[in-house]
Amino acid sequence: MLDLSFLPSGRGGAVTDLPDDQDDAQTFAMDAAAFSHPSFVLPSVADPVAWMKHQMSDAAENRIKMAKGTTTLAFKFKDGIIVAVDSRATGGTYIASQSVKKIIEINPYLLGTMAGGAADCSYWERELGRRCRVYELRNKERISVAAASKLLSNMVYAYKGMGLSMGTMVVGWDKTGPALFYVDSDGQRLKGDLFSVGSGSTFAYGVLDSGYHCNLSIEEAIDLGRRSIYHATFRDAASGGSVLIYHVRQDGWQVISRTDVTELHYQYAEEPRPSLL
Amino acid sequence: MEALFGITGKGFVLTASDTTMARSIVIMKHGEDKSRVLNKNTLMMYTGEAGDTVQFAEYVQRNVQLYGIRNGVPLSAHATASYTRRELAKALRTRNPYHVNLLIAGTDPKTETPELYWLDHMASMVKMPFAAQGYASYFCMSTMDRYWKPDMTLEEAKALMQKCIDELKIRFIASLPQFTIKIVDKDGIRDVQL
Amino acid sequence: MAMKGKNCVAIAADRRFGVQLMTLSTDFQKIFEINPRTYIGLPGLATDVQTLSELFRFKTNLYKLREERDISPKTFSHMVSSTLYEKRFGNYFCEPVIAGIEKDGSPYICSMDLLGCINHAKDFVVSGTASSQMYGTAEGLWEPELEPEELFETIAQAMMSAVDRDASSGWGVIVHVITQDGVMTKTLKARMD
Repeated sequence: MLDLSFLPSGRGGAVTDLPDDQDDAQTFAMDAAAFSHPSFVLPSVADPVAWMKHQMSDAAENRIKMAKGTTTLAFKFKDGIIVAVDSRATGGTYIASQSVKKIIEINPYLLGTMAGGAADCSYWERELGRRCRVYELRNKERISVAAASKLLSNMVYAYKGMGLSMGTMVVGWDKTGPALFYVDSDGQRLKGDLFSVGSGSTFAYGVLDSGYHCNLSIEEAIDLGRRSIYHATFRDAASGGSVLIYHVRQDGWQVISRTDVTELHYQYAEEPRPSLL
Repeated sequence: MEALFGITGKGFVLTASDTTMARSIVIMKHGEDKSRVLNKNTLMMYTGEAGDTVQFAEYVQRNVQLYGIRNGVPLSAHATASYTRRELAKALRTRNPYHVNLLIAGTDPKTETPELYWLDHMASMVKMPFAAQGYASYFCMSTMDRYWKPDMTLEEAKALMQKCIDELKIRFIASLPQFTIKIVDKDGIRDVQL
Repeated sequence: MAMKGKNCVAIAADRRFGVQLMTLSTDFQKIFEINPRTYIGLPGLATDVQTLSELFRFKTNLYKLREERDISPKTFSHMVSSTLYEKRFGNYFCEPVIAGIEKDGSPYICSMDLLGCINHAKDFVVSGTASSQMYGTAEGLWEPELEPEELFETIAQAMMSAVDRDASSGWGVIVHVITQDGVMTKTLKARMD
């Protein structure tokens, strides 16, 4: 049996699939202290998972509601990866903020996007950033995007059923080239070329899919990402604010732009539609 | 899981409806036409609860035709849609409301103005330049926002319709292999191929 | 939202029609002219907005035929109230706002709950999903004795700020300023997200 005592209680943590050989710096393993989660106080009930589930259900007397509603997208193309997100935070239908930064800079080569619970995303992606740094120090090389996304996936999977809510994309450039992973709080982790996450994702896909191909130029790709988010903010009430765009290249990510969607709406309204024939 | 589309163009409305009739997890029939011709220039497409859909559509169809016979003048698309909305609204506050979502497409034979009305089972009615009914709207409203323009030619409208159907094929979990495509213009209602 | 001014009133609404989070239309009519001196705003369930607007058109047309004059805002608000209370046990999901100018030139505004309880105010009334936001913005901007132009600016700013904090309102704003000389209608360029 592995020693899981560092976890306050309940299910096993992210380290279950790692060898516990602490001396071998080349292995993926780190000691339990470096890897352990900061200890979260769990509700002192027999079954914390079931208890939390109830608190978040419609039936609960004082239901825990979480900030949700977002459009994020990322896609690979010949010159790297474009990441584009909106900037609205809602609590119910109340707009809490129009200037949320939903792209998290994990390190100069890694980005994470935020959808779902804002606190969950920012906390766990910050924690991912710390672990990636620890990995770098131990192994004298940068972590791969695949490994980083797996770390995140394992971390959140340890809390499955307790109400974590996140749909995130981990994006970066490593030895293998550009890489894009989708990770969510169910524990799902997918490698892919094109993802969109959040309540506005279907609308973003509707524009993205019809304009996407691998040989887009950088300018075309940026424009496609921006337009897709704009169209999502138009149709989806829970998305809005401004469009933030990053471009991931071999030498790391770059901030491309941040544009208020109102500006885009009236700009796009003037432009002719693309030819259909 | 059903899908309906309507796109207005110059002097016509192009419509599409999927042809899958499902019950529970079983597909009972492929190739069903989910529409009724209300009069020469007006078409009603429907989705919703089995039974309600056809009953309601045919009820409206007969009454619209009766109006035409009685008055010697066919009802306009707007009048048809208003009448349909009223009937849905009346049924809404009874014990068994109709659970039907509709698109009503019409083209005025004199002015050649195309009109498209979106109605849901709550009896809300909106006039739209392009519309989708069902989950399809989540995927395709943005596609149509991007590509639709006023006074499109038939070829352009067909290309846009194809884009919408393609998007559903890529992103929507339910498979909708076949669509009935129709055109509603001053000359009447015809089947067309994309 | 409706506001009183000096010998004028203003009524404003957003233009969105949507199903839950999805916006379907951005030119949906929620304010209806009853007569050139009386307007009603009907925020709520779209089907009831449409049913009620048709019903009030019918009722006020009948009133005009019987009485050979336009219905006054105050009388109309009681007509609306009774209409809503008639459906006490199966109500319409709509909380109307009425604005108009009385025969003597005095401004009239009121709001109602969905069963028809009338609420009069000396300054402004609000209703709809962004009502808590509108209370804040209107409370901050409204002043007594505003001229029509000032009233327009006040209600426009109050409305725009309010809907920008509500995810299910917006996509354009329409404002009507009603004076004894006529009605000024403007659609505002707004955020479209």
